[in-house]
Amino acid sequence: MDILTISGLSKQFGQQQVLKDLSFHVPEGSIYGFIGKNGSGKTTTMKIVLGLLKGDSGSIEVCGEKVKYGHSKTNRYIGYLPDVPEFYNYMTSREYLKLCGEITGIPTGKINGKSDELLSLVGLSNINKRIGAYSRGMKQRLGIAQALLNEPKLLICDEPTSALDPLGRKEILDILQQVKEQTTVIFSTHVLSDVEAICDRIGILDNGTIKLAGDLKEIKLRHHQNCLVICLESKEKVNAFVNSERIRSLRDSADVQGTTIKLKTERPDETMSMVMNVLVSLSIIPSKIEIAKPQLQDIFMEVVE
Amino acid sequence: MKPFIAFTKKEMLEYSRSYKIFIFLILFAILGMLSPLSAVFMDDILENFMPKGVKIEITDPTNLDSWMQFFKNGTQTGLMIMVILFSGMMAKEYEKSTLINMVTKGLSRKTVVLSKFTAALILWTVSYWLCFLITLAYTKYYFPDGKTANLGLAVFSLYVFGIMLIAVLLLGAVTFKNVYGPLLLTGGFTLILFLVNIFPKAAEWNPLQLANSNMRVVQGILKLSDLKYSLLTAAIVVAVSLVSSLKIFDRKGL
Repeated sequence: MDILTISGLSKQFGQQQVLKDLSFHVPEGSIYGFIGKNGSGKTTTMKIVLGLLKGDSGSIEVCGEKVKYGHSKTNRYIGYLPDVPEFYNYMTSREYLKLCGEITGIPTGKINGKSDELLSLVGLSNINKRIGAYSRGMKQRLGIAQALLNEPKLLICDEPTSALDPLGRKEILDILQQVKEQTTVIFSTHVLSDVEAICDRIGILDNGTIKLAGDLKEIKLRHHQNCLVICLESKEKVNAFVNSERIRSLRDSADVQGTTIKLKTERPDETMSMVMNVLVSLSIIPSKIEIAKPQLQDIFMEVVE
Repeated sequence: MKPFIAFTKKEMLEYSRSYKIFIFLILFAILGMLSPLSAVFMDDILENFMPKGVKIEITDPTNLDSWMQFFKNGTQTGLMIMVILFSGMMAKEYEKSTLINMVTKGLSRKTVVLSKFTAALILWTVSYWLCFLITLAYTKYYFPDGKTANLGLAVFSLYVFGIMLIAVLLLGAVTFKNVYGPLLLTGGFTLILFLVNIFPKAAEWNPLQLANSNMRVVQGILKLSDLKYSLLTAAIVVAVSLVSSLKIFDRKGL
């Protein structure tokens, strides 16, 4: 079953067309990486899903219910973590969660238990200072806790790791990984390593449309193009290698950048043994030689360009 | 109802943790004490400031002097303090986008506006009547024989004037997203009341009466029948401001 379905969504700000006939769906139980450059329309899409902005055309369904601007009842299925979450600085995290619980209509008795559980999940249970004294990472973690308070079926995170240091980023990714058991997660980002770390599905947004979407493993397999990377020590050696007869025949698929040569190939094993033979015949010892695995970054660059 | 109570409690917590409650209570308590005391000691104060040899004849102070001070302090200082302290009631929420989280959790925008109004109303009510009770106690103590006519009406009308200013201030706060907008709107609104007062026929309907005719009520010159239209206008201003705030806030980006 799909938790979120967006079909034909368009949005224009003044003269600028931000979203053009955007369509994608997020199946239950996945961690969906919503990838795009800055300004590609990620936040706009999320705000429309939350009913904070009005789409010009198209429709959105959350758990099978249509999203309506202004009075979005569908928000009861959604937990939302804004990119830079802001809370009331004079409260403690427990007080804030209590306020959120009361607003959502969670029974008073249940709020305390749920707060304890979530605060320990995000590692804030022993911190009693007011939110004003929190670091960015702590605020982000509290953001996840408040978003999970109403046990949402869909957790929407807007660039949850972009503003964090490596440690804070890892903490957030670990939490999202844990949360996967209970809820579907969609998170927007331009940090591709984060996507590779935890996502199982992705959608690449560019110029207001989805350029590529689907299962991350399948996409990698489909875009699998083997590539040999050979690093040599000097320019002369590179020239000698590239100009050798057998390599010249591969000229079209060779890409030389400084002292690194990349060879695209259909049959990696054969090409590799040929390359090694050439290197031996020229008495060149490479500093590095490998069959490179396809990276999400390459796929992203290919799709976006 | 539960979200309304929760959000109003949050507002009160904010007033408490930002020390606004204490500032309100202390300042209004001081105003309450100052009125009767300055009436009692005005003689001595003036004498001290006069050059030697100059004599001025001042009649003995009465309870009316005490109430005159109360209404002067109440209107000039008290209302001013209130308007300034409440002017940021929406600005911070807009500036820091703290309401996004609340609204995406299902808090209705109407509840936000009504809670803000209620919390401000509670704070104004408590401080104002505290101020009044202190003045009343001291005045009774210093001038036990003093008589007043319609004191209740006079005090109540200034209270209503305060509520009206809160409603106008809230409208400004919702509309302009900053601190200066509500201050300017409230200032402009008061200015208009003064301008309207130039026309004698309009004065009867002008809510400004509620803040500048209190002494005449206390002296028995004006009665409820003279103030009823002003009270009605004030109630209409409150209602219109609140409804407009709700409508405008519904369409505001957070």
